[in-house]
Amino acid sequence: MANHYIHVGSITNAMRGKSLLEQQGIRAYVHRTTNPPQGDGCGYSLLVTGNLGQAKETLVRAGVRVVRISDAL
Amino acid sequence: MIYLDNAATTWPKPSCVIESVTAAMRQYGANPGRSGHRLSMETAQMVFRCREKVAKFFGLSDPTGVVFTANCTTALNTVIHGMMRQGGRVLISDLEHNAVLRPCHALSSPSLRYDVARWSPSVEETVLNIRRAVTPRTRLIVVTHASNVFGVTMPIEKIAKVAQELGIPLCVDAAQTAGVMPIDMERMGIDYLCVAAHKGLYAPMGSGLLLCRRKEPLIPLITGGTGSYSQCPDQPMDLPDRLESGTLSVPSVAGIAAGIDFVQKIGRESIYEHEMRLLQQLYTALSECNGVVLYTDFPQIETHAPVLSVNVMGRRSEEVAALLDREGIAVRAGLHCAPMAHRHFNTLDGGTVRLAPSAFTDPSIVMRVKKVFEQFSEKPLHLSENVL
Repeated sequence: MANHYIHVGSITNAMRGKSLLEQQGIRAYVHRTTNPPQGDGCGYSLLVTGNLGQAKETLVRAGVRVVRISDAL
Repeated sequence: MIYLDNAATTWPKPSCVIESVTAAMRQYGANPGRSGHRLSMETAQMVFRCREKVAKFFGLSDPTGVVFTANCTTALNTVIHGMMRQGGRVLISDLEHNAVLRPCHALSSPSLRYDVARWSPSVEETVLNIRRAVTPRTRLIVVTHASNVFGVTMPIEKIAKVAQELGIPLCVDAAQTAGVMPIDMERMGIDYLCVAAHKGLYAPMGSGLLLCRRKEPLIPLITGGTGSYSQCPDQPMDLPDRLESGTLSVPSVAGIAAGIDFVQKIGRESIYEHEMRLLQQLYTALSECNGVVLYTDFPQIETHAPVLSVNVMGRRSEEVAALLDREGIAVRAGLHCAPMAHRHFNTLDGGTVRLAPSAFTDPSIVMRVKKVFEQFSEKPLHLSENVL
């Protein structure tokens, strides 16, 4: 199963996102973003295992800003 | 000491709050939302759990709308400055604290005005006064949930209906009611809720809350580091970061969470009933004392917060408070930072003596307070004797 980082900006967005995803049965871990996109700077991401589409939709529907998605190698 | 100055800040604090604050300083020593190491993440998790708890307690669906502030004044200033810097008119009531009046006054200019609607013991009249004071340029309504001097309340749900109908955001100052009277932002239609967490939530002094139901970004009162989007010179749009620059008081956050636990353990409703029972007993007892002046009708549950103002005829309020202090009773006298409320009740010249119980106030205080007030009417007061 592929792992992805969903970059959400702030620690609060990440914590809320984790809580929302776990309510949907999606495992998520909060990480400090190690490779922030140029022009973005510091921030936090969710490491998500499994259904990326459902995870993204859950976050967007709840109003959590998804800044960027990248593969977790 | 009989501490009846709980409207200024509650005291004593519950031991669970003290323990939680101390534990936070020991266990959550890293800065939340700044770093990625374990201690920082654990601290951030504790802070987020507190946001969730606060949101649930006040009926706010999204915990990111919970902003930690230094006090209720900062929360009110954040909303007033954040909404009004671009001009327009703000509508306030004549019961407001200086935390509302002064920022409105400070922002006054040819392009920004504040209007004042008169509170009335009649709910219908109060709502009508609010409706009449709205102008086409009104951009914000700010009202207190309860007067910090007289305990009388504003009909928030009815005012919220007017605000919703006219498309104007409603900000409520819940300094005296949060943790005591029922507040559900979604159900009551409150857009911004400002809370003095060190009062009814029993958190440490220097802790406040701003709860935002509206998603429209406020212009921040202060800008700075948030630990997010750091390359961008603009303040982030996301809440709470937009309104929460700089390092949080993590021990205070832990204290707020423990304070809510304390209130929930006893039951908010039980605390309100206990405090109102004491207030009613004080009202009845003092009404039997010669020369004691009471300013409101008998305080009823649902329409009154547990705050009572009194005076002794022919005495200055400061004089009465000083003598109560000599007898071991702590109260606050004067204008309580609410000159408009005193003007409304014709007490602007001498002020009043304010008595406010808490969850910790023992019913036995009623007779002790009455005895001291009875002495006032029997013998002349000599304030000079009390000078330290």
